[in-house]
Amino acid sequence: MKKSFIVSGVVVAVAAALPFFLGNFTLRSATDILIFAILASSWNIIGGYTGYASFGNIVFFGLGAYAAAICMNNLGLGFFPALLLSGLVGAAFGYLTGLPILRLRGHYFAIATLGLAEATKALVQNLGITEGNSGMYLPIPSLGIDASYRFFYYTSLGVLVILLLATWLLLRSKLGYGLIAIREDEDAANSVGINTTLFKSTAFSLSGLFSGFAGAIYAYQQGFIKPEPVFTVASTVKMIVMAVFGGIGSLWGPTIGAVIIEVLSNVLSAHFLVIHTIFFGTIVILVILFAPKGVSDIFRGRRKVGVAYFLENIRKNKV
Amino acid sequence: MFTQVLINGLLKGGLYALMAMGMSLIWGVMNIINIAHGSFIMLGAYATYWLFSQFGVDPFVSLPLSMAMMFFLGWLVQKYLINFVVQADIFITLLLTFGIELLINNLALLFWTADVRKVNVSYGAGNFQLLGTTVPAVRLAAFVLALLISAILFYVMNRSRLGRSIRATSQELDAAKLAGVKVGNIYAITFGIGTALAAAAGTLWSILFPIDPTMGGILTLKSFVVTIIGGLGTMLGPLIGGLILGVVEAVGTNWLGSTYENLISFSIFLLVLIFMPKGILGGRD
Repeated sequence: MKKSFIVSGVVVAVAAALPFFLGNFTLRSATDILIFAILASSWNIIGGYTGYASFGNIVFFGLGAYAAAICMNNLGLGFFPALLLSGLVGAAFGYLTGLPILRLRGHYFAIATLGLAEATKALVQNLGITEGNSGMYLPIPSLGIDASYRFFYYTSLGVLVILLLATWLLLRSKLGYGLIAIREDEDAANSVGINTTLFKSTAFSLSGLFSGFAGAIYAYQQGFIKPEPVFTVASTVKMIVMAVFGGIGSLWGPTIGAVIIEVLSNVLSAHFLVIHTIFFGTIVILVILFAPKGVSDIFRGRRKVGVAYFLENIRKNKV
Repeated sequence: MFTQVLINGLLKGGLYALMAMGMSLIWGVMNIINIAHGSFIMLGAYATYWLFSQFGVDPFVSLPLSMAMMFFLGWLVQKYLINFVVQADIFITLLLTFGIELLINNLALLFWTADVRKVNVSYGAGNFQLLGTTVPAVRLAAFVLALLISAILFYVMNRSRLGRSIRATSQELDAAKLAGVKVGNIYAITFGIGTALAAAAGTLWSILFPIDPTMGGILTLKSFVVTIIGGLGTMLGPLIGGLILGVVEAVGTNWLGSTYENLISFSIFLLVLIFMPKGILGGRD
């Protein structure tokens, strides 16, 4: 336990020192990785620990982005109050929609969340306050160029660290044990007196809180948001692939997955502009086929990893 | 005026029904939500487009051909990809089909570019008057064909040996295995039938609307909506769901404006999921 603390501390310290060694362009890519790490780790709370595979988590990100834009433009708030409110919007939305939707299980829950994200996108496209499909501009940060790159990097890093700490605490709380019990056997959890509705909604709401933060950071950094990129279904899938790749239901897994997948896709898109999405699709297929438990399962070192390990993954689930 | 809206809705609904039929079959039998369904619709549409523009084959004539090609592709995909993970956690198959969707769509973009294309048949604008409303002939033909294909599927599933094997596999996997059903093959054939139905929908779509490599995304979502409204586990579900969605969309957009189309369909979808998750027909468990 102590060892993993020291390792985590070193990782965070290295991450905090990075801006002193990186150029602005690389720092911007690193910020994107952190934002995806926040999204993937938030997804992990509902999808990994609670076992409810949400395919619509992007809705919190989109709502956070729009909440930040509306808070800053229409209410004249500063960035940090707007950030806080965006998270709260995500959390409230998660709690309230969670109450009816989390009664559905399996595939039904997955596509209900997908439908929720699409419905919300369609609503944002038609509302006056969000300026429909033409999108919204946000105020430009009044910092220098270098300073603003660092600002967004450290804000994202801060949110990610808080999220990981919160998840760590969650796993040691009654709530966390309850969530894992729900994942393992919801009916049994219910019968031993766990208020499953409350627990699941709280997990969904936590997921919404941090995804909302990520949306607000993205919106302020981008300076301009539109319904299509901020509510894209493909981004939900990207965060799930990251979580799966890193290892679902492990604390650091989604972050590791985010780093690997983003670096890989950046390298691919730099070298193969047109066909990098084809590569990404291929990676998704290969990961799902050969390493559905993620790289953390491989690195945990409990067994030898060889051809046999990958073949075993295939053999187990085939008909 | 209202009857005209109703007719338009019903005619589009027939196409929605055909689209969802393949998805509903795959979902019902194998518990797979096929995110790549819209991509197969797109491939069907392009098969028709190329046969029409390169060889001048009429879409209604090439329909069986594009269905056969997509059956084979679907069979391959299930046999050599999805069958390997079909018993894993639900989101694993979801993600796998998403990967397949990415691959198909982007290969299509690469080879066929993002240009919007259309199958311009000479009789495309033909229509006739019925009870004071205008009925577009091609849409009516597409509607009738959609019903015909559903009827054939209905017959195959209920009366043939293949249909019995598929239903047995869907109801009790292990028992079906014990009774000598080659489950892997049945799965591959079922998926192939699903993609062939998608191809049929794509062919009809390409006569009526412009097509491009990314057209599939929204059609996948529409197929979800129809499947959920109608309810899983019955052959009639997608048909009823498709007609309902077509009519509600037509009436709703006529009232609120066409930008509300998606908001209307996804709102119904959520309401049905929350209040009657088994759909209007309430299929058996």
